[in-house]
Amino acid sequence: MDGVELQILWSNLIGIVSEQARALQRVAFSPIVREAGDLANGLFDQRARMVAQAVTGTPGHINSLAAAAGNLLADIDPETLKPGDVLITNDPWMSAGHFFDITVLSPIFRENRIIGYAGSTIHHTDIGGYGIGSGARDIHEEGLWIPVMKLYNAGEPNSTLFDIIRRNVRTPDALFGDLAAQVSSANIAARRLNALCDRYGLVDIEALSDEIINRSEEATRESIRKLPGGVYEGESRFDVPGGETVVLKTAVTIDSNAGEITIDFAGSSGPSRMGINVVPAYTHAYATFAVRSTLNPDLPNNAGSLAPIKLKLPDSCIVNAKYPSPVNARHVVGMYVPFPILKALSHVAPDRVVAEGSGAVWTVQINGRDEAGNPFTSSMFNYSGGMGARASKPGLSAICYPTGVSAVPVEVLEASYPIVFGCKELERGTGGAGAQPGGDGQRISFHMRTNSPWLLNTVPSRLHEGPEGLLGGADGAAGRYEVNGKPELRAGKIEMKPEDEVLMVTPGGGGFGAA
Amino acid sequence: MTQYSLAIDIGGTFTDAVLFADDGRTFVDKTLTTHGNLIEGFFRGVDLVLGRAGVTPQSVNDVVVHATTVVTNALIERKGPPTGLILTKGFSDILYIREEHRYDMYDPQIEYAEPLIPRECTFVLDERVYADGTVERPVGEAEVEEIIAQCRERDIVSVAVCLLNAYRNGVNEAEVARIFAEKAPDIFVSVSHDIAPQMREYLRTSTVAINAYTVPITRPYLNALIEELGHRGFKQQPLIMLSNGGVIGAERAGRTPVRMIESGPAAGALVASHFSRLLDKPELISFDMGGTTAKACMIQGYEPLVTGTFEVDRRYRFMPGSGMPITVPSIDMIEIGAGGGSIASVNSLGLLKVGPESAGSIPGPVCYGRGGTDPCVTDADVVLGILDPDNFLGGDMRLDAAGARAAFAALGERLGLDVEHAAWGVFDVVCEQMAAATRAHATDRGIDYRGLPLLAFGGAGPVHACMVAELVESTQVIYPPLASVLSAFGTLVTPAQIDLVRSLVARVDGLDWEQIGKTVSTMVEEGRAALAEAGIDDAEMQFSFGAELRYLGQQSEVKIALDFDPRKVRDADRICELFEAEYVTQYGLKLDTMPIELVNWIVTASGKTPSRGSGVHKRHDEQPAHKTRTVYLRGEATPVSVYQRADLRVGQVLDGPLIVEERETTSFVLPGWTLALHPDGSMIASRTKGA
Repeated sequence: MDGVELQILWSNLIGIVSEQARALQRVAFSPIVREAGDLANGLFDQRARMVAQAVTGTPGHINSLAAAAGNLLADIDPETLKPGDVLITNDPWMSAGHFFDITVLSPIFRENRIIGYAGSTIHHTDIGGYGIGSGARDIHEEGLWIPVMKLYNAGEPNSTLFDIIRRNVRTPDALFGDLAAQVSSANIAARRLNALCDRYGLVDIEALSDEIINRSEEATRESIRKLPGGVYEGESRFDVPGGETVVLKTAVTIDSNAGEITIDFAGSSGPSRMGINVVPAYTHAYATFAVRSTLNPDLPNNAGSLAPIKLKLPDSCIVNAKYPSPVNARHVVGMYVPFPILKALSHVAPDRVVAEGSGAVWTVQINGRDEAGNPFTSSMFNYSGGMGARASKPGLSAICYPTGVSAVPVEVLEASYPIVFGCKELERGTGGAGAQPGGDGQRISFHMRTNSPWLLNTVPSRLHEGPEGLLGGADGAAGRYEVNGKPELRAGKIEMKPEDEVLMVTPGGGGFGAA
Repeated sequence: MTQYSLAIDIGGTFTDAVLFADDGRTFVDKTLTTHGNLIEGFFRGVDLVLGRAGVTPQSVNDVVVHATTVVTNALIERKGPPTGLILTKGFSDILYIREEHRYDMYDPQIEYAEPLIPRECTFVLDERVYADGTVERPVGEAEVEEIIAQCRERDIVSVAVCLLNAYRNGVNEAEVARIFAEKAPDIFVSVSHDIAPQMREYLRTSTVAINAYTVPITRPYLNALIEELGHRGFKQQPLIMLSNGGVIGAERAGRTPVRMIESGPAAGALVASHFSRLLDKPELISFDMGGTTAKACMIQGYEPLVTGTFEVDRRYRFMPGSGMPITVPSIDMIEIGAGGGSIASVNSLGLLKVGPESAGSIPGPVCYGRGGTDPCVTDADVVLGILDPDNFLGGDMRLDAAGARAAFAALGERLGLDVEHAAWGVFDVVCEQMAAATRAHATDRGIDYRGLPLLAFGGAGPVHACMVAELVESTQVIYPPLASVLSAFGTLVTPAQIDLVRSLVARVDGLDWEQIGKTVSTMVEEGRAALAEAGIDDAEMQFSFGAELRYLGQQSEVKIALDFDPRKVRDADRICELFEAEYVTQYGLKLDTMPIELVNWIVTASGKTPSRGSGVHKRHDEQPAHKTRTVYLRGEATPVSVYQRADLRVGQVLDGPLIVEERETTSFVLPGWTLALHPDGSMIASRTKGA
């Protein structure tokens, strides 16, 4: 396969899966998918290797989804699959690390043979149980656990599963609408992949995926070989809801012969009692993000470009969650995973890394009753702080990093739920000073239009420890979380009076280099 | 008496002029765009084309239509006078915070453009409207007066107003506008519920800010144009091309310049749709390559695709997300930084890069001899022998071939290539870039681009189209007559048209038909007024109706065209039927248990499509004479036949490689292709091998 032909087919595969993602976003019901883009779409070959991913979504979802297809097909023999079958799971260890993320995988048939799979993972509005937040004491309090099973069997819905879901979640209509979006977007991908095969006279995409995956893997190895070999260390500290400080320590081994990077988390904090434990797939997702964004951000993401990056996780560790640890708010720790790795890489590629930033986006969920007494449960929504500075550019203010989501517009939230925002503005001066300053955080306040008590579930982090500056840059400011003007120390879901006012000031980013 | 109509299209590099006579004669010319004062180039074009035809301004008794890049230039150059922005208190950073989204997940070096209106010129009002339209706090007159005073201090001449939830209820914005009109009538006010009545505060603020910023540049420009046209004896008020593919009176256009941004490109897409009808090719790819950028647009069912949002001024590697978003109806096209003036360079890895930096018209490519020193795409075309340096613009503009060669010698040295191979490399790379962008644009819209004919125009389009066609697996390239000024011609085949959108959110099973009747009637009247200003008679006005709907709980709407007038027929069932059919087409499913919500009503008011033909001389009587010149095909010297377009005749099939010259452009046909003249005047190249 020559470079031109491969280029054309490859960009076509990425086009197919990106189109699948856009279709999914357009028909989705929950704001978190359609506005925030909390989703991932991947296209897999016959052997369940991710060959292309949509250029939207979040690293946590995408790189977890990359492994999910193989996990699902280890449970259900692909030989038994029929046209019209659709597989589903929200098993945290098999896909994206908490129950809210439901992965749907559809085999793509060409004539009577499976030539690949279209998969998606999206964050659903509700999954029963505890709801958003880190307050559950074990995983079973966190909601409905859907093992690997068929959502559709030869085109027929699995009505038992649908009935169970309907009785176990707070917003069944939104969940079913979003599931339908996942299924239909996979159908679009299946049609497009078959059309591609027709156009180019392909029986399947195995030779193509070999080319793509091998070349991507080799390119990644090559970019690692350019670095000086050795072991480099980095550490990141941050506080999580409830005030506990988490330490992530990494020893990054660069093998410049094999072109491989191994990241060892020995010395990191142990498991938490809070629902902030991270499953290995999600840890791997953000670890690979740190390496890939530093070394070769232009290279498309697939099984090959992820392969040369390996993880070593201690047995008892916050980023190696074990059953029955609660994992609901795993992003609070997971989104910090890149930072110790970036610090380690700053020893070998200082011009390409990013200083520590605000880290995990702050997430919020509200439920209660509106003025007319009708119950509501919001989708999760999130706000960002400042990004750390770059070697030759300042950090961006109020921007989601490392995650790839967006904030839901104020007007969309106000139109969807009885929430009223008082402000949403930059908090200037919160970014750390430096040769390049860190980005600023933002100030957000809101209250409800309601006559009834309501429940608030905010997951802030870095309320005490701001992000560290890099190579002489100053630290960013820590965040603030207040109710009615007083610091709110309670973690988890809290009961609010109708007139209560919530204030969140997100952290700034760290500076880069001495000012 | 002969009817003359005149079209002027000001692009980034050239200003094109077309004078069309209803007896079939067409006169065209082009001149360099005068960026300091666009009107200078406008009238230079007018003078040239009138002179060519030997007619006076007084005899131009049909329309004068104008497409212009003035708004885009204003946004890119950022030299406009200070503009103010009025936002709801507590939300003053909407333009700074955007959507909190990184448009490239992996690249940590991304950048965004500075907000168009800086924080020093942003004012806040202690007012509030809820999402259901309830006014929680009205606008205080004193507060607005205080803002007016501050505007005065800062010499602000135009303000944008975007208050929260104004898409639902614009009463507070209207109050601000009223107070300004009373206390500061000289300050122009753009309000968001008028410019872009759509949910999502960043998108709406960005749109209205762009409008306010460009009004002080666009209105004086259009007024000067109206005045100078009158002064010279033209009888007609000019019509202005809008991004949605319609034309409208200049006065009205000056109040909503944000609708003019894609003026020229929209005209290009419209003309592609004209040729798709003429040649009965319902699907084609319109490929327009000018001096600065290239644009591709998909024609489907004889019509260009239209989109509701687009972006201008992409700041970082031309990447989607790095520019400013706009939400007004616009022809859906992809624009890439690849034009005749795109600069070729060698990057740190030793790879050849073309664009997105452009030498524009000043200094322009090296061969223009206006001080340019960087080798450009046009320079490569000269070095390769595709362009004849002595015959550019019919010899009116002599090109410096030696200068171009010298620039490529330097570039080639860095690449380890000789002059000709370096030039071919640039030709190859720029064509591949355009092909890749076209493929992605088509696939994203679910369109199988393979085998679709390419319609090539713009000054540089016919030079590169055949190569691009090979790369997108097309088997046909259409070179319409007047290719280099086709956008200008497009404005002459465009109907007067305005699209109006109003939000009136309700479940389809609970529509308030009284209210709908009132709202739609208001829109029809607004459309009627706009068409009247554009000189359309009442009898020629047409109104069509549409709606945007979604399932309750979604936020993306599906647009449907209604086959009835909702003021007269109150058929909610039919609306549901149309929505579900469209939903199935787009997404392959419908959700039977979900209630359906109607979000926006749409009224399209249009005049008749003018029947101005392409007016081409056909000659059947001569054998085509030709010369031969050396072209460095893939870097190797190859003798290539060179024809004059006027000498071609219908029925003869010519084998590539060949070059067809006309005054304003050159068409280059590769080996493996043949070329024939279609009776309507278009040349059509067909692939004979490897297809």
